[in-house]
Amino acid sequence: MSKILEVKDLSLHYLTRFGQKVHAVTDVSFTMNQGEILGIAGESGCGKSTLVNGLMGLFIPPLYPTGGDVLVGGESLMNRKPEDVRLNVLSQKVSMIPQGAFNALNPTRKIKDIAADVIAAHGSGQSVSKHQIYERLKERFDLFGMDTDHILNSYPIQLTAGERQRSVIGISTLLNPKVVIADEPTSALDVTTQKVVIKMIFDLLERNIFSTMIFITHELPLLRHVAHNIAIMYAGEFVEYGTSTQVVHDPRHPYTKALMGAMLSADAGQKHRKPTTIEGAPPSLAKTMVGCRFAERCPSARPECKQKTQSMRMVGERLVRCDYAE
Amino acid sequence: MLKKYPTVRYVSLRAIWYFLTFLVAIALNFFLPRLGSDPVDIMMAQSSFSSPEIRKQTEENLRRDFGLVVVDKQGNIIRDESGNAIRASKFSQLLNYVGQVFQGDLGTSFRNQKPVSEIILQALPWTIALQFPAILLGWIFGNSLGALAAYKRGIFDKALFPFALLMSSIPFFVFGMVLVYFFGVVWKVFPAVGAYSLELMPGFSLDFLTSAAYHYVLPFFSIFLILAGGQAIGMRSMGIYELGTDYIKYAKWLGLKETRVLMYLFRNAMLPQLTGLALSIGQMVGGALITEMIFSYPGLGMAMLTAIQTNDYPVIQGVTLLITTCVLLANFTVDILIALLDPRVKASLAMDSK
Amino acid sequence: MLKLLKNLIKEPMFVIGSFLFLTTILAGLLGPSLYSAAPDGMSYESPSATYLLGTDNLGQDYVALLLRGLQNSLFVGFMAGIIATTIGTMVGLFAGFKGGLLDDILNMFTNLFIVIPSFVVLVLVSASWPEGRSLTLIAFLIGFTTWPWTARSVRAQAASLRGRDHISLARINGASNLQIIFKHILPYLASYVFMVFIMQVASGILSESAISMIGLGPIGEGATSLGVILNTAKNNSAITYGYWWGIFPAAIVITIIVFALYLLNNSMEGVFNPRLRK
Repeated sequence: MSKILEVKDLSLHYLTRFGQKVHAVTDVSFTMNQGEILGIAGESGCGKSTLVNGLMGLFIPPLYPTGGDVLVGGESLMNRKPEDVRLNVLSQKVSMIPQGAFNALNPTRKIKDIAADVIAAHGSGQSVSKHQIYERLKERFDLFGMDTDHILNSYPIQLTAGERQRSVIGISTLLNPKVVIADEPTSALDVTTQKVVIKMIFDLLERNIFSTMIFITHELPLLRHVAHNIAIMYAGEFVEYGTSTQVVHDPRHPYTKALMGAMLSADAGQKHRKPTTIEGAPPSLAKTMVGCRFAERCPSARPECKQKTQSMRMVGERLVRCDYAE
Repeated sequence: MLKKYPTVRYVSLRAIWYFLTFLVAIALNFFLPRLGSDPVDIMMAQSSFSSPEIRKQTEENLRRDFGLVVVDKQGNIIRDESGNAIRASKFSQLLNYVGQVFQGDLGTSFRNQKPVSEIILQALPWTIALQFPAILLGWIFGNSLGALAAYKRGIFDKALFPFALLMSSIPFFVFGMVLVYFFGVVWKVFPAVGAYSLELMPGFSLDFLTSAAYHYVLPFFSIFLILAGGQAIGMRSMGIYELGTDYIKYAKWLGLKETRVLMYLFRNAMLPQLTGLALSIGQMVGGALITEMIFSYPGLGMAMLTAIQTNDYPVIQGVTLLITTCVLLANFTVDILIALLDPRVKASLAMDSK
Repeated sequence: MLKLLKNLIKEPMFVIGSFLFLTTILAGLLGPSLYSAAPDGMSYESPSATYLLGTDNLGQDYVALLLRGLQNSLFVGFMAGIIATTIGTMVGLFAGFKGGLLDDILNMFTNLFIVIPSFVVLVLVSASWPEGRSLTLIAFLIGFTTWPWTARSVRAQAASLRGRDHISLARINGASNLQIIFKHILPYLASYVFMVFIMQVASGILSESAISMIGLGPIGEGATSLGVILNTAKNNSAITYGYWWGIFPAAIVITIIVFALYLLNNSMEGVFNPRLRK
C-alpha cells in the first residue's frame, strides 16, 4: 500500500480584521494509505472545516498556513500559487463533498452545466463538444441508478434533497480524485435518504472511482461502521487517533470518553447508559493557550494540566494527547 | 386552462395588474391637479382680458376643454335657465378623461393651442434616445464594477467604494450642472445646451448626426455616471452577500475557473438588482428628466418645464401620464425578465398554479 | 447596545459620516441665527472679503442664503423622513405580521405606489398649489409619496420574524396583536427602521431639490432651500455666465449631506446586518 496523503504538523490560522490571529488548527499530523477511510469527529467549531481547506491547499484570506506540510501523492500543497492549486489539485487530487447540498448547488444553473463547468475548469485545452460532455456525464450519473436525464437537465430547486446530495457527490467525484473529503454528507437528510447516500459513496469506492476518503461527522456511531481509522478533534487539535474499534469501543482520552457518553448509542448493550453532557465550552482560539486545552472541562483534570502542554503519545496502541490517559 | 403554462399565466396576471395600475394612474393624473385649486381659476387669474365678455368666453372654453362642464354631442356647452354652464360631476369628468386618454386625445395646450399628443410625440424620441441607453448602460457598467469590487475586495474595492458612494449621493442634475460648467463653459469642449446646433435641420444628414452626438455627450454622462455609482454600491453588497453563500464556496472547492465563479456571482447577484431596477426606474426617470432641463434638451423634461412655467395643465398632465406609462411598461418588462431568468421564480410559479 | 456603538466607532465610514452629518446639522441649526448677512450688493458679485461666496441675482449674500437653505432643506428632509418612515413602518409591520387578506390589500397599495413614480405625483400635486407652497406642505407631500419603500422592506423583515419562537410564545401567552407588534417585533427591527429612516431623510432632501429644480419648490419669504438656490441660479443662467459660486456651494452642500447619510447607513448595515441576514 502506498502513502497517498501525508499531513505533517499542519497548523492554520485566521487573521481577524484587527490583526488578531485565531489558531483554528494546531499541529495536526496523520498519514493515509490508498484505500483507507479516515473519520474525523468533534463538536462544531473544533476546526474540522478549517482543516478541510488546509487539506485542499486552499488558503483564501483570512485563512493562512502557520506551519507544517500537506503532501498528496508525495507532492506538497504548501507555497503554491492559487491558480496552480485550482488547476492541478482541486477536483483531481483532492475533492470535497460539502454538507447541505441544496445550498452548494448554484440555484440558477442546471446540474449538467455545473458538472460541465468542472470538466471545463480542468480540461487540458482541447475542445470537446457539448454532446460529448453530456454523454460523459450521463455515463457517470447512470452508475447511481437514478433518472439521469431528469437530474442532469434540472435546476437544483426541481430536485429532491436526496437527488441533490447525490448530484453533489457525482460532481465532486467526476474527475476521479485521489482523496475525497466528505463533510457531513448525510446531515440534514432523512434516515432513508442517508442510507441511499452512504450506499452510493460505497458504490463509488467499490468501482474505484476513488479509493481514499476522509469522512467528517459529529455522529461517532456512523463512523464506526464506515471508517477504518478515527481521529477525534478538540479545539483545533487531534486528541485521539486510532482504529475505529479502538476509539469507539475503548476510548482513552477524557474528551473522547465524554463524547461517547454524550452520544445516544443505539448499539446493543449500551441502552442502559444514559447520555451525559460535557460541561462548559471549548476555549477561545484567539488567545495563546497554555496547558491542556480540555483541562477546563475535563472531569479527571489535575492541577498541573492547566500549565503543562500535552502532546500525542502512544497509549494502548493508538495516539492520545493526554499524559495521564491509560 | 392556463394552469398548464405557469409562465403564460403569470405574464397574463401581471399584465392585468399593470393595466389596473394604469387605470389608477389615470385617475390620479386626473384628480391630483384638481386637489389644490381649480386649474382654470389659476389660469384666469394670470391672464388679462380686454372685456368681461371675452373673459367669460375664454373661461367657458377652458372649462369645456377641461371637461368641467356638461356638453352635448356637438361639443356645445349645455346651459341652465339663467344661461350658466352646468358643471359636470367629478365622476363624469373622470369618465370623460379616461375615454379621451384611450383615444389618444390628451387635450390641447393652453399655451400654443397645439394638441398635447403632438407636443409629446415631438419630445419623446429625444428622451428615449437619451435615457434608455444612459440608464441601461449605466446599470450594466455599475453592476459590473460592483461585482468586481465584491469579488476582488482589496485596493480596488477600497478605492472604488467611497467614490461610487459619493457619486451616488450627487443628484443627476447637480452633476449635470458641474459638467456643463467645466466642459461647456470653462473648457468649451462640449456644447453646453441643446441637442443639436440650431442652424441645422433635424434629419439624417451627417452634419446633423455629428452635431447631435456632440451634444449628447454631457447629458449622457451626467445620467450614466451617477446611476452607475448607485448601482455599483447595490451590486457590491449583493455580491459580498452571495460570496458568502455555499454555492460559491463549493465552486471554489471544485476549482472552477475564476471567470466562471465571477459569472456565477454576477448572475445571481444581478437578479435582485434587476428587481431593484424595476422599483427605482420611476425615480431614475424623474431625475433624468430634470437633467434634460439643465441641458435644455428638447425632450419630455423640457416640455414639462415649459408647461409648468406657463401653467399649461394639459401638457403637464400629458407628460406625467406618459412618464407613468413608460415606467409601468419598464416594470412589466423587468417582471417578465426575472421570471424567465430565475429558475427559482419559475419553480415557484409552477408550484402556485398547482 | 454599547457594544454595537463600540463596533461602529471602529468604522472609518461611520466616523467620517457622523462628522460630516453633525457639522451640517450644526451649520443648519445655528448658522442662520449666528451669521450676520452682509448688506445686499450688486447682482452676482464674485466672492470677496465682504461676500465670501459672492452674491446672487438680487445681490444677496450667498453665505446667508446657503445657511438658510441648508436649514430649510434639512427641515424638509427630516420631516418627510419622519412621515414616510412612520407610515411605512406601520403599514409594513401590520402587513408583514398579520399576513392574509390585510397583507394582500396593504401590499397591493404599496406596490401600486411603488410603480407609479412618486416624482409624477409630486409634480401633479405641487402644480395644483401655485400659491402658498410652504416648506411644510412640500415635506408632507414628499413624506406621503415615499413611504411605500419603507413599507416594502419593513414588511419583508416583519414577515421573517412572524414564525419565530418568541412570537409564538407571546401569542400562546395571550398577547394581543398590537402588543406583539410593538413589544416583540418592533424592537427587533429598531436598528433596521433607523437605517431606513436615514435613507428616507436623504431621499427627502433629494426630492425637495428635484421638485425645486423644476420650479415647484417652496415659495415665500425665507423659504429658500438648497434646491431653490440652484433653480434660481439656473433660471438666471449663472452657469453659462460662469458664475460658479451660484451653483457649486449649494451643489456641494447637498452632496455632503446625502453622502454623510449614505456613509452612516452603509457603516451601520455592516455592523447590524449579520443578525438580520439569517
